Amino acid sequence: MEIERRILKATWEHNGNLEPLYEVEDKGDEILVTFDLPRVRKENVKINTTGDTLEVIAKMSDAVCWERWGIVQKKITFQAFRKQIRLPEPIEPEKAEAIFKNGILRITLPKVRRKVLITID
Amino acid sequence: MDEVVRIVEEEGIIHKEPIVIEGLPDVGLVGTIAASYIVEKMDYKEIGYIESDLFVPVMVIHEGKLKNPFRIYSDKDGGIVVVLSEVAVPPRAVYPLTTALADWFHKIDAKLIISIKGLPVKNRMDIEKPEVFGVGNNEAAMEELKDKQMEFLEEGFIAGTYAMMLWECTKRRLSAISLLAQCFPVYPDPGAAASAIESVKRFSPQITVDVGELLENAGEIKLKARDLMQQTALSASEMQKGMEQDMPIMYR
Repeated sequence: MEIERRILKATWEHNGNLEPLYEVEDKGDEILVTFDLPRVRKENVKINTTGDTLEVIAKMSDAVCWERWGIVQKKITFQAFRKQIRLPEPIEPEKAEAIFKNGILRITLPKVRRKVLITID
Repeated sequence: MDEVVRIVEEEGIIHKEPIVIEGLPDVGLVGTIAASYIVEKMDYKEIGYIESDLFVPVMVIHEGKLKNPFRIYSDKDGGIVVVLSEVAVPPRAVYPLTTALADWFHKIDAKLIISIKGLPVKNRMDIEKPEVFGVGNNEAAMEELKDKQMEFLEEGFIAGTYAMMLWECTKRRLSAISLLAQCFPVYPDPGAAASAIESVKRFSPQITVDVGELLENAGEIKLKARDLMQQTALSASEMQKGMEQDMPIMYR
């Protein structure tokens, strides 16, 4: 089974949202997506999915404030993680499952499968 | 000054057969988090840095001071040396860096080299307290691991800087071990770093840090380590880190 890993660059936004680190794995019949969501409680995680996108919004327990952030040297506060991912293949949203434990969110997304029986001549 | 990697040490530093702790970025940033926590909590002094044209052209600023991201620290008695980096090691720099470091460890008469690393595991989110496994490069190192009641990594590939560090130390008849803490492959893992520090303390009683604060501040550390984690994950894919999940073929 081929495992495809994709790590995209996390960024931050001035609106207080931080892009989380995440990983997408193609597990054959399903797509497995994990997010690293430190300082987040399970009840503050919202997951939305359509057939081909996945959005996670996770509010932190307390806002994180750094007096100086990188070269911009300005005070910046983060309150939530937010990320929308375009999925590599269509999935069945109603069959999706999610687990949140120790700051890691794991979402299992079954792929749409249309089976066609091939007869042997 | 024509070496590919140059180790620059302050003048007058005296080493007394030190134990060297190496915490270069790798999976889970276990070594980097652990080494920087030890340096901070033990108040070790910065004694040098490592420079190379092969490294990314980056310097860091801490409290307004310009610093090299590849730094060397020591305790005041010369019995402990810590090597750490705040930027990923480019794959092309792995061989020259490990060669230069092993030469330097030989020069300072290092008693034991300990590389702190992560061992990526798929079910890390289900593990409360990560286990730590040891790999030794010679009989003396293996005895040391047995003596400290460490679990052994018995079969498998190891890849990246610590793999080459073990090998380069072997060639110079230096005893070296790697301590591998179960970790998330692509997320910073302060929990794994805490487990690794607990194991390091078995080898070096002079290190008396309490990991409570590290675990308490794990969320904030994870946020601060995000960018380095991404750089490291990209480098790791070129270093065949994926092979660490494979089984070697030798018949035995």
